[in-house]
Amino acid sequence: MRTRDTDKEKLVIEKAIEQIVQDGFQGFSMNKLAKACNISVATLYIYYQDKDDLIKKIGGEISSNFFSRTIKDFSPSMSFAEGLWKQWENRAAFAVEFPTEVACFEVIKHSPHGESILAVGQLSQFKIQMTEFFENAIRNNELVPLPMDVFWSVAYGPLYALLRFHREGKSLGGKPFTLTKEIMEEAFKITLKGLRP
Amino acid sequence: MKTNTQPLIFRTDIGPLCANCAVHKALDNHNDIQSWSIDAEDKDCVLRIVSDTLTPTMIIEIINQLGHQCHELS
Repeated sequence: MRTRDTDKEKLVIEKAIEQIVQDGFQGFSMNKLAKACNISVATLYIYYQDKDDLIKKIGGEISSNFFSRTIKDFSPSMSFAEGLWKQWENRAAFAVEFPTEVACFEVIKHSPHGESILAVGQLSQFKIQMTEFFENAIRNNELVPLPMDVFWSVAYGPLYALLRFHREGKSLGGKPFTLTKEIMEEAFKITLKGLRP
Repeated sequence: MKTNTQPLIFRTDIGPLCANCAVHKALDNHNDIQSWSIDAEDKDCVLRIVSDTLTPTMIIEIINQLGHQCHELS
């Protein structure tokens, strides 16, 4: 009887992520994935019910990994500057360490499976912590009162723009770009200035 | 008694239009089938069946009797 093999499961996830990024959601198929993993299609169906099931599970895994990494060493009781910087560090570290996963997550997030992958358990803990941090900062007069979405776009927009430059290896006008701690700190200081009352 | 803790996998010609057809009803109502699914998006319309007692041959017979092709994938 065919047995589940943890290494094989890891390989399947790794190859699936690569193929989703490379071929997009529609171009991805169980047959191609099985070939890339050098396993039979039947083996693949032991692990996953169908293509949708596989995509949901992979998306769930990436998001759960992202949420747990983002709240690592972070506490909602941190001062606003310290906590936001920790968020920048954690989010940047995840994006730099797992660029293919992040690209894959973006593809899945904008697919019909977007909602289901955001329904993982870690998300609720993540949401609670982020909301508490945001409310504490306003209460402590460290953050100008803003709607949550406006706050998010100002607080993380610059970071994600820099991370995109880094991922592409170039910034405006095709100028070579590598994200450094100094660049991140410079952008962070300006961001913080804009968010303080 | 033989038990299958893992699903049995088959290549079929059961298309996506069969959601309310005889195959759907037969598999749903079969006492020895714990769960089943068809990947209608796949070119092989892969049928996946979880059963503690049914053998691949028995499943192929059920599907053939319903007018569809069915081959075990290994």
